Amino acid sequence: MNKKMDRVWYAVFTVPLLLIFITVVIIPFIIGIAYSFISWDGIPANPKVFVGLDNYATLFQDERFLTSAWNTLKFTVLALISVNVFGLLFSLIVTAGFKTSNLARTLIFMPNLIGGLILGYIWKFIFTDGFKQIGASTGMDSVFFNWLINPEFALYALVIVFTWQMAGYTMIIYIAGINGISEEVMEAAKVDGANLWYRLTRIVFPLLMPSFTICLFLTLSGAFKIYDVNLSLTNGGPMHTTELFAMNIFNEIFGYGNYGLGQAKAIVFFIVVAAVTLTQVVITKRKEVQM
Amino acid sequence: MKRSKKFIGAVSISVLALAVAACGGNGGGNEATEPNGGAAGTEQLAKISLFQSKVEIAEPLEALAEKYKEETGNEVEVWGSAGDAYITQLQTKLAANEGPTIFSVAPGAEAQKFSSYYYDMSNEEYVKNIAPNMALEIDGKVVGVPTGVEGFGVVYNQDMVDPATITDVASFAGALEKFKAEGVNGFSLSQEAYFLIGHIINTPFALQPDPAAFLEQLNKGEVKMADTKEFQEFAQIMEAIRTHATNPMEVTYDSQMGDLATGKTAMVHQGNWSYGMLADYDDVNVGMMALPIGGNKKIAVDIPAGWVINNTASAEQIEAANAFLNWMITSETGKNTIVNEFGFIPAITTIEAESLNLDPLSQVVYDATQSGETIPWALNLFPQGIIVNDLAPVTSAFFLDNSMTPEQYLQNLDQVWAKAAK
Repeated sequence: MNKKMDRVWYAVFTVPLLLIFITVVIIPFIIGIAYSFISWDGIPANPKVFVGLDNYATLFQDERFLTSAWNTLKFTVLALISVNVFGLLFSLIVTAGFKTSNLARTLIFMPNLIGGLILGYIWKFIFTDGFKQIGASTGMDSVFFNWLINPEFALYALVIVFTWQMAGYTMIIYIAGINGISEEVMEAAKVDGANLWYRLTRIVFPLLMPSFTICLFLTLSGAFKIYDVNLSLTNGGPMHTTELFAMNIFNEIFGYGNYGLGQAKAIVFFIVVAAVTLTQVVITKRKEVQM
Repeated sequence: MKRSKKFIGAVSISVLALAVAACGGNGGGNEATEPNGGAAGTEQLAKISLFQSKVEIAEPLEALAEKYKEETGNEVEVWGSAGDAYITQLQTKLAANEGPTIFSVAPGAEAQKFSSYYYDMSNEEYVKNIAPNMALEIDGKVVGVPTGVEGFGVVYNQDMVDPATITDVASFAGALEKFKAEGVNGFSLSQEAYFLIGHIINTPFALQPDPAAFLEQLNKGEVKMADTKEFQEFAQIMEAIRTHATNPMEVTYDSQMGDLATGKTAMVHQGNWSYGMLADYDDVNVGMMALPIGGNKKIAVDIPAGWVINNTASAEQIEAANAFLNWMITSETGKNTIVNEFGFIPAITTIEAESLNLDPLSQVVYDATQSGETIPWALNLFPQGIIVNDLAPVTSAFFLDNSMTPEQYLQNLDQVWAKAAK
């Protein structure tokens, strides 16, 4: 009886979601694969020409696409490191038992509640006007200038804003992981005379491996797919130096009206993201230890 | 545990509710919605939607829709848009079969691209009111009502600049240098693609004996901008701006106009549409003159866009759209809004422009139209998307990298043009 009810409830919750998932993800994805073999300008009345693998051949000669791939890679590596370093650091600080740790938790998490677009516009103001003011009044204008129009610094600006947005989120996950580590083990280590560094590297980090798996996956896929902050902060500029994968695809499709080529890029993009994140999950999973 | 189950349940239900709501809410585009409210007794027309590209007239357009509802009881829904993204949004909406009933397109490449969507309005009564040669035509059929005439050139502060002294590239550069010495920014472009490069590069194209033929040759790679005299002068002007004026990459449209109004900037490259932003300042006297490439004395005047009717809309909606366009260009309220609220220089014969109170910039454009001292908007014939995707990035690079010479700048423009025109 009970088992039957369970199954009914299971269906009630799963079937609608499954249907939605199929209609908004699976089916468009399959149609998308089909589109990547045609050449079409997006106007329904205009002809769709089957071109086979031409789109895939073209995209590997597309310099702008390859540049954006390189930019995305650079951005992802930097963002991955900085988001997780800061997230872990924050989580260690707020679990250390200071009086203001609850307040700090809230404040650090807060940027994650603001939409990426708005976050980008806020930081655009900071970089354009704020930095210029600071530079002018402190004389440190070699550091504080408008980063967003400097081809080298614009990408770092993007990393900063992404870290600002994501570090609080990863912090929450790390906190959960840290709270799961039993006090007794730590006590025992302390009694045995292990110093802070030793306790961190030999006990905390290995036991945090599940949290690392989740956080690395989230930041990796998030950084790869970033679009909103990218759009509002730099819009790919200056000179396409911060045009990342998603934006390049959008521009190909809507800027130039190359629906087929853009779709082919999107498929390649999907394969890359899937491959990288899967590899990461497999590797970090293997390092997870049980107490 | 129980609690968390309940919580998950609540979350899934709200997600479902959202999804269902989202599915139901997208009907605005194509279905003829029930007419509601309005004056009893008069004939009700279908509710229509209107989508247009000009940010400047967004508010007065909504006000016009309100007045239309008050006067006739019919409803027009105005969809918001944002400048550069307009065409993208339009394309998405049309592709999803949720296109607006009335939308605006720029003549040339853009109008051609969407040409399969236009309702043929050649036989409609109101078409007779369009000024000669000003209708948006494709294959001999009238498909669009012009929004108005617009012009752009060098907008200057009359208290600071004497247009008679700026007649060629050398005197232009000289003026910028002089202003810089006085601590004033002589000339300002702004970072948005069209205001950075789109409009200003129109002049060397428009000055060619046959701009359309030149563009065709350029697309085929038979001519080079780098080898053409007008473009060389254009590049010198850009270099003068880079050397003597505020870096355009640091300037936005808003700050550009604000600085002009407050006397921090002497000249900007803008059109008569920008007067809307100057109108908020009391004591500013502005004029418009030509960009002095090759001794040019003419400003660029053309119709920026036409209102077209979507032929995939229902018959009732097309009828309602015709009624609205007719009302807009023949009723007193409509005519008054076009001139005084939109600030458009009318391209319709029902409006006597002499009797109207044009703002100073529109007056210049209107006078130029009357005397025929104008150059066309060759930029309407550019390959689609080239300004935003190709010309703007190269120009940003030019303004950010002082080592790029004007010659290299032109070569880079040639290079991206060759790619984009393929």
